Amino acid sequence: MFGDGVVRGADVESLWRRDMGTRCEAKSCQTGEISTVEAAVQSHSSRDAGMQTDQSEETIQDLDLQKEAPVDYAGLLSFLQGVEDVVIKELNKNWRSHAFDGFEVNWVDQNETVSCLHSLLYPEAQDQKLQVTSISWNATGSVVACSYGRLDDGDWSTEKSYVCTWNLDRRGLNPKRPDLVVDVPSSVMCLAFHPSQPSLIVGGLYSGEVLIWDTSRIEDPLIWRTGMTDDTHTDPVYQVDWLQDSKHSHHFQILSVSTDGKILVWQTQRDGQLMLVEGFALVAQQIPRSMKLKRTRGETAVGVTSLSFSHFDPSVFIIGVEGGYALKCSTAVETAAVPRTVSSIPLKAPAQFAFSPHGGPVYCVSCSPFHRNLFLSGGTDGHVHLHSMLQAQPLISLQLSKKYLFSVRWSPVRPLVFAAATGEGEVQLFDFGKSSQKPAVSIKQASAQTPVYCIEFNIKQTQLLAAGDASGMLKIWQLSSDFIQQGPREMNHLEQLANEVTD
Amino acid sequence: MAEVEETLKRIQSQKGVQGVIVVNSEGIPIKSMVDNSTTVQYAGLMHSFIMKAKSTVRDIDPQNDLTFLRICSKKNEIMIAPDKDYFLIVIQNLTE
Repeated sequence: MFGDGVVRGADVESLWRRDMGTRCEAKSCQTGEISTVEAAVQSHSSRDAGMQTDQSEETIQDLDLQKEAPVDYAGLLSFLQGVEDVVIKELNKNWRSHAFDGFEVNWVDQNETVSCLHSLLYPEAQDQKLQVTSISWNATGSVVACSYGRLDDGDWSTEKSYVCTWNLDRRGLNPKRPDLVVDVPSSVMCLAFHPSQPSLIVGGLYSGEVLIWDTSRIEDPLIWRTGMTDDTHTDPVYQVDWLQDSKHSHHFQILSVSTDGKILVWQTQRDGQLMLVEGFALVAQQIPRSMKLKRTRGETAVGVTSLSFSHFDPSVFIIGVEGGYALKCSTAVETAAVPRTVSSIPLKAPAQFAFSPHGGPVYCVSCSPFHRNLFLSGGTDGHVHLHSMLQAQPLISLQLSKKYLFSVRWSPVRPLVFAAATGEGEVQLFDFGKSSQKPAVSIKQASAQTPVYCIEFNIKQTQLLAAGDASGMLKIWQLSSDFIQQGPREMNHLEQLANEVTD
Repeated sequence: MAEVEETLKRIQSQKGVQGVIVVNSEGIPIKSMVDNSTTVQYAGLMHSFIMKAKSTVRDIDPQNDLTFLRICSKKNEIMIAPDKDYFLIVIQNLTE
């Protein structure tokens, strides 16, 4: 009844593909050409030009405050009337208050002791048994320079000597190897770095010459010299100093002091020479006779051994002479000196006032940076005199040493403190605020047979004091904190000391 | 005008007073009994300090406000009386 059968399947064709095919179109696209252009650029040549502003003086202008901001006087008056009573009450309460008496705040770590930071020496100079004759710190306070020579030799010596500098802020400071060594044909007696240019240093020689070196030049640091002309000193130059010259800011003026009685002002010239521009000569008969001085032949020159400018009046300076007294001088004098030697510039007589003498030559004077009338003088009699410029007798006379005193310096930060270099190998720090009889601190630099010849405070890093002695060693001392910070009543104490002038 | 001067003179004549400066709310000095450079220096430096002190007091307690400011230093003391429109700065030297 039933049989097998195969049925062929049904085919359905795709309509979708045909449709898609009719709807598609072929398209092509291509980015358009990118136009490029070659161009070259070159930086134009440039030149370095330097500009320097001069130290401007303070010009006080009339600040017309009324034009600056329109002031509402009614409002201002009501404000002032409201606060006046409160403020006056507070001011009076302050005056009577004892709340802060003896209250002191320490912002820095206190350092209690004086310690030696570095002992610098130059082996060649030590081998020749040269002594440290002078020290100077540079304008930034990081470089110390010292000169070697001989101070105990009476003879005219033609011995070579050195000027050495060390940079204390440099890592790898080698105390036996200075950063710069300058060979000098004669003994250098005094050094001074320029007060604002950190690389210029001037030195005065035993032969009477004055030389200026630039420590930034390695090949030949010598840039200016006086040479041996008729104008140069005929005796050793004991002190040199830079003068502030505002008129010719590209020339420098140097002052040199020597035992031939002349104080000369030199100016740097472009050809490497130092030219004499001004001069003072001290002759015995022109010294003002405020004290009874032993009679000397009228025209004898008075040997000048030290000089210090006043910090308050740039034309006033104090000099110490071999005769043992100090003189107050001024650069603004007009009287001509009695001529002894021919000189290209007329020399003037600067002395205005004579102070009472020490028992020996005065090797150091130092004007106080805090009071316009006070200065210290130290002599070979071992005494230090505190003088006021207003009277001939010293205010205070202290015996600091049984031997000579070679250098005294006021502290740059504490008005009542000064340091003195003694012949017994000690540096003595004296504080008028603590005791007026004995030193506050006595630093032993060397044995009792080697005198300390020179000391210098570092103005920028005020805790450092450099001292050079006769064994050729330069030691840098770090002072304790009470020598660095000014106390609250120090200026008043200093004023009191200065006012003890007897009428 | 004259009363303003008189009031300032009265304050200046108190014991130890070194200077009196009146500054407006923007920090510009209006009246001063000291030289110009000191005036400008104090006015500039004090203004930001006063604003900082005032905002500190207000941050701690918004209901509170700065009434008086005193800076005690080693050498002298600076007193500031603040107000909406003006500040009065008085410098007093206590060591004598």
